[in-house]
Amino acid sequence: MFIEAIISGILIGVSYAVLAAGLALILGVMKIVNFAHAEFAVLAMYFPAYWFLKWWGIDPFLSAFIALPIFFALGYLTHRLLIEKIIGTGESSTLIITMGFSLLISNLILIGWSGAPRIITQPYTMATFSVGNVLINRAQTYSLFASLILIAALFFVLNNTFMGKAIKAAADDPEACAYMGIDLHSTYAIAFALGIAITAAGGCLMATYRPFHPFFGETIIIILFASVILGGMTSITGSVLGALIIGLVQQLSVLVIPIALQNVAVFTILVLCLYIRPQGILGKKGRAV
Amino acid sequence: MKTVGRPTVSLLLRNFLPIVLFCAAAALISYVAGPNRYTQRIILLVVLWACASSSFNIISGYAGQVVFGYMMFVGAGAYTTVLLFKFLSISPWFGMWAGVAIAVIAALIIGLPTLRLQGAFFAVATVAFPLIAIPILNHLGLEELSIPFTGHGAGSMQFRDMRFYVLIASVLLALCLVTVRMVESSRFGYALKALRQNETAAEAMGINTYWCKLTAFMLSAGMGALMGSIYSFGLLYVLTTHSVFGFFIIVRILSITIVGGMGTVWGPVVAAVFLVPIGEFLNSQFGDRYPGVQDIIFGVALIATILYMPEGIWGKLRSVFRTVPPMSDTFRKALVEEDSTPNIASTTKYDGPPAFPSIQPGNARDRHDRPILTIEGVNKWFGGVNALIDLHIEVHKGKVLGIIGPNGSGKTTLFNVINGLLKPGAGRIIFDGMDITHLRAHSSCQLGIGRTFQIPQVLGSMTVLENIMIGAFNRNRSIFKAQAEAEKIAREMGLAGRLHDRATGLTLWETKILEFSRALATRPKLLLVDEPMAGLNPEEANRIGEIITSIGKIGITVIVIEHVVHSLVKIADWMVGLEYGRKVAEGPPEKVISDPHIIEAYLGARWKERHARS
Repeated sequence: MFIEAIISGILIGVSYAVLAAGLALILGVMKIVNFAHAEFAVLAMYFPAYWFLKWWGIDPFLSAFIALPIFFALGYLTHRLLIEKIIGTGESSTLIITMGFSLLISNLILIGWSGAPRIITQPYTMATFSVGNVLINRAQTYSLFASLILIAALFFVLNNTFMGKAIKAAADDPEACAYMGIDLHSTYAIAFALGIAITAAGGCLMATYRPFHPFFGETIIIILFASVILGGMTSITGSVLGALIIGLVQQLSVLVIPIALQNVAVFTILVLCLYIRPQGILGKKGRAV
Repeated sequence: MKTVGRPTVSLLLRNFLPIVLFCAAAALISYVAGPNRYTQRIILLVVLWACASSSFNIISGYAGQVVFGYMMFVGAGAYTTVLLFKFLSISPWFGMWAGVAIAVIAALIIGLPTLRLQGAFFAVATVAFPLIAIPILNHLGLEELSIPFTGHGAGSMQFRDMRFYVLIASVLLALCLVTVRMVESSRFGYALKALRQNETAAEAMGINTYWCKLTAFMLSAGMGALMGSIYSFGLLYVLTTHSVFGFFIIVRILSITIVGGMGTVWGPVVAAVFLVPIGEFLNSQFGDRYPGVQDIIFGVALIATILYMPEGIWGKLRSVFRTVPPMSDTFRKALVEEDSTPNIASTTKYDGPPAFPSIQPGNARDRHDRPILTIEGVNKWFGGVNALIDLHIEVHKGKVLGIIGPNGSGKTTLFNVINGLLKPGAGRIIFDGMDITHLRAHSSCQLGIGRTFQIPQVLGSMTVLENIMIGAFNRNRSIFKAQAEAEKIAREMGLAGRLHDRATGLTLWETKILEFSRALATRPKLLLVDEPMAGLNPEEANRIGEIITSIGKIGITVIVIEHVVHSLVKIADWMVGLEYGRKVAEGPPEKVISDPHIIEAYLGARWKERHARS
């Protein structure tokens, strides 16, 4: 039981980690709290993951990588048309505008594709590996590897390309970046697009083993925020760790409390963390003035 | 100058009569409209959403802390009232107050940890709590809760005619709006407005920001709980966890508040009056074919408002009909009669060094001739950087102490440590016979440490008068006294002509004078002045010097940080030189500026060598 819980905790945790990494990237660079973040993942669950499989039989794991360029473009457009206009007007207004945007996305999905829960059925959906006497779901295992590839790729882009370095620099000190001749506007747009793209891919992966519906985002957005807050608000590494912790807490809690209360355990951990270490695991304390 | 104005009955009428009239009108319209359930339902929805949004407005609009988890309190009110009614047969008239108590306790528990978080994280962290509440209630078998029907009657708040509910809701709305108006025009409301704009400045002006936010949070929560109770009895009949703790609640409330205008009394009401019926109409017409249409309208309204009209409908209307910008609560008629206007702020007219007859220094508690401020072995580290190293400084009463040192030598850090914006890593700070090492900035201010900032931290969207009032509230509880004192100080400092202008529109010189006025209004015993001359021309710099000398003459001890050394020499009685966080020189001004350390620090070792050779 315990081993199984640990394994499924890691599987779930890593699947959250992909989404949380995108959220932390956007947050760290632009100081924008993207409340519509999970809705992009949900959108990707429908399109490409669900519909590509339905129309053309494209496997969702392939769709995850098709989603990258599509949602990079979508994220770029969203930033240029919406987010860019409110940068610098305060955290609350970005939070509110992205909340409005999340309402739009989820309700348009509801109108367009109905509220019925969807599930993707592929040969691996219900299949399992058995390691010793522990059974592990195949779809989740494939997703784990794909997620690790995505996270590694994100770190590679951020650490080894000029654009990635510019993004990290802009997160650290936008003013100095502007003096160094970095175009902040396009850096922000690309960071936002990158964050959305990896999230969409993560959404496709999640769709291979979890049923979803238009308001699925509401159930995961707070888990994503919890990961980011646990991890120290702006650190991508921290948010990945935070997501892992949350996955483990969620699955291990089932050993002691009813399964219906697993999210209570997660949020209790979050609240305790806020009491004890408000700056998160990898967060720094800021200077006054 | 003497105080002439008084609060008048007309002011009370202007503040509260429209509220009473509006709520009476709502009840009247509902009465005239007849008992048709559909019409009454819409009127009731409008009034209830206006109530909830007004309550939400206190913490999110006035205090600027957007609570995304606000449904927690609506739900707490609804569930408590219904549970008490169902299982203990307690009348909802009493039950709703139990709901208020539960919501206020919940707000305390939620607010204590989360209010330390910054803006958006606070907003998001609060959402965790309803998400904890929902599964717990579901698990306890309370996912669906029907209100038992015990016969129509006032005692059980069950009426056949929905107009009774509208009447109750209208009274509640009047209660909410009066509360909001009272908050707005009180010292507490000013504190909220100040901390919304600039928490550091608010702290430095003696406002306990954490406590103010917590109080506003509990007030908002309690009012939301009342709305939840009436909502469940008047409209829902069957509660589900998702209908009162769900996201849908906060989406409504947030849209209405934003579209109407955050931090305005009438904004949420106006927005509720037209958004709610539109939503209901669309839902009844297209709801079966396009189920999410109502939320799409709210989403679009949210986005459009933030993009094109961030001040909301009411804010927009107000700026169209008002040519002068100030808020409603300062009295346009001056409370102070002036005899003459010394004009310091205008650089064109100059009538000698200023005097401040009405500015009062705080009375020192310690009557002995001990130093007013003693810094004993203070250290401060930032990560691996030592910003202050084993600093010992004594400041004597009524003197002007100048602090010089190159950039990064720890001067501003020293100020932050003294007034409590930062905690020292080691050492003690004794002010006026008291250990203030661990006090926060607002307590230091209340004890008598005033502060101006290197980068002026005026509250841009408030008027000059309101800015100074924020300082004056440090020693005056009454809004009238605070305003009278602020007016006097503004006159003496020469800001009389700009009393009702917003602080954003001031010139740099006026901004600096405003910083001084606001700090002086707190009646400090000790004033910390951080680079007052930066960015000013030589003549203005001289005038600032004279102002500092005059402040010293009325008995306020002053510590000045300044780079313009020759100006500082003229005004300082004593000087301290800092370099890399250490005290490298101390003594009378002439001695300190000829100190080789200081010359080296400012002009470099090469210059010193050359100077020594020649």
